[in-house]
Amino acid sequence: MYKRILPIALLSAAIWSCSGSEKAGGPVIGVSMLSLQNEFVVNVADEIEKKAGEAGARVIIVDAERSALKQVEQVESFIAQKVDAIILNPCEVEASSPAVEKAKAAGIPVVNVNSETNAVPSAFVGSDDVEAGRIAMRYINEQLKGKGNVLMMHGYMGQAAQIQRDKGAKEILAQNPGLKLLAEQSGQWDRSKAMSLTENWIQSYGPQINAIFAQNDEMGMGAVKALTEAGLKDKVIVVSIDAIPDALAAVKKGTLNATVFQNAAEQGSKAVETALKLIKKEEVEEKVIIPFKLVTE
Amino acid sequence: MKPKSANYIGQYGIAIAFAGICVVLAFLHPAFLTLSNIRVILTQVSINALLAFGVTFVIITGGIDLSLGSVLAAAGIVAALLAHPGEYPLVVPIAAGIGSGLLMGAFNGLIVTRCKVPPFIVTLGTMTIARGLALILSKGRPVSNLSDSFNFIGGGTFAGIPFPILVLLVTFLGCALLLSKTTWGRYMYAVGGNELAARASGIDVGKVKMMVYTICGGLAGMAGILLTSRITTGQPNAGMGFELDAIAAAIIGGTSTAGGTGNMVGTLLGALLIGVISNGLDLMNVSSYYQLVVKGFIIVAAVVLDSFNKNRH
Repeated sequence: MYKRILPIALLSAAIWSCSGSEKAGGPVIGVSMLSLQNEFVVNVADEIEKKAGEAGARVIIVDAERSALKQVEQVESFIAQKVDAIILNPCEVEASSPAVEKAKAAGIPVVNVNSETNAVPSAFVGSDDVEAGRIAMRYINEQLKGKGNVLMMHGYMGQAAQIQRDKGAKEILAQNPGLKLLAEQSGQWDRSKAMSLTENWIQSYGPQINAIFAQNDEMGMGAVKALTEAGLKDKVIVVSIDAIPDALAAVKKGTLNATVFQNAAEQGSKAVETALKLIKKEEVEEKVIIPFKLVTE
Repeated sequence: MKPKSANYIGQYGIAIAFAGICVVLAFLHPAFLTLSNIRVILTQVSINALLAFGVTFVIITGGIDLSLGSVLAAAGIVAALLAHPGEYPLVVPIAAGIGSGLLMGAFNGLIVTRCKVPPFIVTLGTMTIARGLALILSKGRPVSNLSDSFNFIGGGTFAGIPFPILVLLVTFLGCALLLSKTTWGRYMYAVGGNELAARASGIDVGKVKMMVYTICGGLAGMAGILLTSRITTGQPNAGMGFELDAIAAAIIGGTSTAGGTGNMVGTLLGALLIGVISNGLDLMNVSSYYQLVVKGFIIVAAVVLDSFNKNRH
């Protein structure tokens, strides 16, 4: 019996002492991120950690693995640990809302970063995905001088980023009747799926294709690879969103025409700044919008 | 036990279904039956086909392997990390990629045979472990800047034929010969058909199972190298759900989940069928929602056909 209890007791004592000693320092911020398997999210998380370290705050970063349920549970555990503030990178608009409500009910300020929930947080830090779609499609419109055939590659259908980037792109398409949407299909945010899809599109539409808008860089890179192999890259404009390092390098090389820069670092550091202000009960803006930037060289 | 006669109907069924769908698609879209599109299809199919060959061995012995997609990703990352230009000769990333696949496969085989845990559970665990390893090794980010010689594997051509297609052909021949022409192949059928009888007749069942899981892992490693080289980056989240397409290809091709039946020709046709359908649906710009439904229906139809055949024998 003792043999079983002893290690558990030691372990809990160890955990207790760690958390106790760390709590003695600066404020503690609980951070629940959408998915630490996604490069962009990892970049935001890294910046949160860095910025908090500089400010003398401690962060507990957990991965919700795209599950809103898990995210709610993580926030519950933050509440139980009595963190001073929570930064939430919501998995879902509706299903992650209880996390925001519970934290606010417990009197803990919540900052939503990168994507929104229906429940209103203490503050929101992020970018407007609809605008990213508009920027990308506007670029295509300019490059094609208002006339040409466009293909659009969606992310996972039904996710906030897919819906909003689609909405922005379609707005511009509607304003420019010279642009024709030849086909649209999901590449599931994935480079190899996007490459296969582009290969199939090339078989189907070949030289008719004037431009491809991919809703993220991974897919954009897949499209570029397929077009290059088919010898069509010089004739087709490819634009995507996120500005991951691979895409930036490709834009420099001239293989990817443009990417829309969503500032991960800025989102992360502004989220920490806002959370710290909320802890000190200072005034904050309800919505801190970090603008997108088109990168063409 | 009549593995062969049971196969024939499934095999002809799949061949007829495959031919029928090709004819329909050729009528529906002029670009379908062109040499360049056939090259595209075969290249796209190669990755799933390698996984499907591996899992066919496993299913024939009455097992299952759900870890394929994650093993592919982990092996791809291992290969990518060693494939930066000017660091190691090409054989190093290739050997390391295949080797890590073999190791993970052997791990599956070891737990299945030594600990007597159902393969479904073991490989489900390995699925998560391998995905975790891929993320740890890559730090959650794509591994890019790979050497030209490495990128040739997935993107180059040899005598006008894309290299992945050649890999596909050679692997197919190897797997088909192993399964149908060797003693080990016969043992695999025997183990899946009736494990007790196989054991009683002196077959080292553990060794056979160990072998099929290891081969399956090795093939997933090869597929990982092909995919990494094709997209010229190691992707820690590559191959999600690939195990399902591979298992589907084997089952569509007449491999019975009950074990004891199946062959590589059927699996190749199954993989081609899946590839042809997603290519054809893309050509016709069918929405991805419907694509999922269509693919699902074909898998269900194949399994129904499979159980129908079994009931008749």
